[in-house]
Amino acid sequence: MKKHANGILAIIMCMLLVTVMVGCGNEKASDDTESVSNGNGENVELDTKAEETDTKAEEADTKAEEPEEVKLVFWHHYNEQSNENKVLMDVLIPEFEKENPSVKVEAVSHDWADLHNKALVAATANNLPDVIRVDSAWIPEFVDAGMLQSIDQEYTDFNEVKDGILEGPMDTAKVAGHYYGLGLNTNTKIMFYNTKLLKDSGVDLPKTLDEFFMAATELSSNDNGQQIWGYGEPALSGWNVLPLIWSNGGEILNSDNTMASGYLDSEQNIELLKQLVTLKEENAMTGFNSGDIPMTDGFAQGRYAMIIDGPWKYAELKGGHAEFTDYAATTMPAGKGGSIQVLGGEDISISINANSDYAWKFVKFMTSEFAQVEMGKVGQIPVSKKALENPEITAIEDFTVFLEAIKTSRARPAIADWSEVDQQINDAFTAALLGVKSPADALTEAAKMIDDILDKK
Amino acid sequence: MLLSSIDHELRCRMLNSNLINKKKMNISKDKIQIVLLFLPGLLFFALFTLYPIYKLFIMSFFEYQIGSKGNALFVGFENYISVFTDGVSQYAITNTFIYGLITVPSQIILGLLVAVLINSMSKGQVGFRIVYYLPVITSWVIVSVLFKYIFQNEGYLNYVIVNIWEITDLPVKWLETRISSLLVLSIIGTWKGIGWSMTVFIAALTSVPKELYDSAKVDGCNALNRFFYITLPSIKNTILFSMVMLTIGAFNTFTPVKLITNGKPLHQTEFILTWMYKNAFEFRNMGYSAALSFLVAILVSAITITQFKLLGKK
Repeated sequence: MKKHANGILAIIMCMLLVTVMVGCGNEKASDDTESVSNGNGENVELDTKAEETDTKAEEADTKAEEPEEVKLVFWHHYNEQSNENKVLMDVLIPEFEKENPSVKVEAVSHDWADLHNKALVAATANNLPDVIRVDSAWIPEFVDAGMLQSIDQEYTDFNEVKDGILEGPMDTAKVAGHYYGLGLNTNTKIMFYNTKLLKDSGVDLPKTLDEFFMAATELSSNDNGQQIWGYGEPALSGWNVLPLIWSNGGEILNSDNTMASGYLDSEQNIELLKQLVTLKEENAMTGFNSGDIPMTDGFAQGRYAMIIDGPWKYAELKGGHAEFTDYAATTMPAGKGGSIQVLGGEDISISINANSDYAWKFVKFMTSEFAQVEMGKVGQIPVSKKALENPEITAIEDFTVFLEAIKTSRARPAIADWSEVDQQINDAFTAALLGVKSPADALTEAAKMIDDILDKK
Repeated sequence: MLLSSIDHELRCRMLNSNLINKKKMNISKDKIQIVLLFLPGLLFFALFTLYPIYKLFIMSFFEYQIGSKGNALFVGFENYISVFTDGVSQYAITNTFIYGLITVPSQIILGLLVAVLINSMSKGQVGFRIVYYLPVITSWVIVSVLFKYIFQNEGYLNYVIVNIWEITDLPVKWLETRISSLLVLSIIGTWKGIGWSMTVFIAALTSVPKELYDSAKVDGCNALNRFFYITLPSIKNTILFSMVMLTIGAFNTFTPVKLITNGKPLHQTEFILTWMYKNAFEFRNMGYSAALSFLVAILVSAITITQFKLLGKK
């Protein structure tokens, strides 16, 4: 009897295992009925992600089987505790569901970097959500990975919708002549300055890039070991240095985005980098090292006289340093190229795994005047032309300088390998500022590396 | 006579072969049951561990961009050559190695010390064990953010050094050079792991037979000698176990590095996992990451085998 007990136990365990396998397998297999025209066959088995793609597949399954209630999955990166998420969950989604009774929107909040990675993984499993809020910098990469629908080709009323949205943000979703999303919200950077420090040191508000560099030096001081830096910059990536490069009249790539040599290492850029190195050596600039005081804290404590950042800075200052009020903001100082800031923002895109009709309806809804104004009231700068003229938006003081700056802002190069190129720029500027390489060497070597990266395609 | 002896002979042989057959049947029945019992676990292991490793190995010979419609370009050993020549991988592997070299012995020695002390307490053992184990169960994210604040240029430690103890005028830039960053990360890693090795060693210490200590005392052995000649050899296997687990853990370090330095300055504080992550998910070079992870797997296996050889059963 004992011998048989062992055998029976073994067989039961086998059956259990097989059942579990088949169960998991079924959920994955049902994807084939959902996916739209994508020939991607590779199914990478990544342990940590397997569970999530399984649940998403389950939801995709329910969609196909129950046409009465359609589920729309929306991935975004509004912070779960943020006001934007509250508006989304309590105002926008209920309104959309009221207008479309057979749809249930399931919005999933992710961390910014997480969303990027999870979307890529979901793509390999053919398991993307219907709609994704995409950082504008990711569009070229996602398009290259074949993840997004080309909406100008899919929907007949596209042009009408497009005309209602600002051109700059719409351009962030444009790759090789086609649009892969609608602009959802936009942002750019402006210069925040400490009014008290400026007044006390008798420095005028800099309007040109040269004045800016001079002001940075004059605003720096060191009393009893308490260093004040005139200019704080939290990092040296494209998001941080491109405004300086562009405003100075320089470029980083040719117009085709196929070459960096001759552009990144131009005389203008080398001169600009030399000026930054001088600022660093004079202790007039810092912020990008691991040990530096974080921007918001440093600015509020009067340690950084001038910082350049986006609309979230207002919220951060009011939230964490409500007692600090000696600051104001203005547009980027203008150089030889003008006052050009870098255009950020998010687009809203439809994935190739989407349940098309409702996804497009949802996307249009999120860019409608109603949704844009509601989000605008919690700090998301609208891209809908009607929303921008809405009195509730024009009354928001914090937006005024940004709306001015957006007129002359420029999007980062729309290339799939932007992350790698960005890292090279970051490394070059860091090497020069830390004194490891001369500005000329740093930029020339980086340009060559970028040429290689762009050549690979 | 002859016929009956032949008959007897035949009967014996038949009996023997019957017995042998029965024995064979028993053995194969057992074998089948053993295989069946192992099968679920083996299948699971094969599907979720061996298969991904195999796919990873294949991936390392391609320029595999995640999500690129499966169009992978075969590049042979190019990814492996990149790993050896691009400069950052060397930093990553060396940094992780140094981190392991500092944290593994530290955690073992300090964990053992705490375990011995706690074991010798008559009262209050549980309280101390909880206190020492708390860092182990605290989130790495919280610990990293907290320690970053402590070690920043104008962080708490520098405040104490410059303003309270007045050892030096200028704040120490803990997080801005490779060596000091490694030191800070090692301190964090050790602090967080002591509780784990302490728990493992307490369990091992309680299993050492008391008679050994008693007879040693009778022979006039002092406490220190008792520790070195009785305790240590008795828990040798536990030390080996801790060493292997802690080494593997050290090579898996990711969160504190990502949150505290993120490889800065200029990738000099990259660890294997942070560099691999950056290449896989930011640069989308899965092939390169696969090659790097495969090489590291070989390295860790080699280290583990060496540890077993040095400390294994004699």
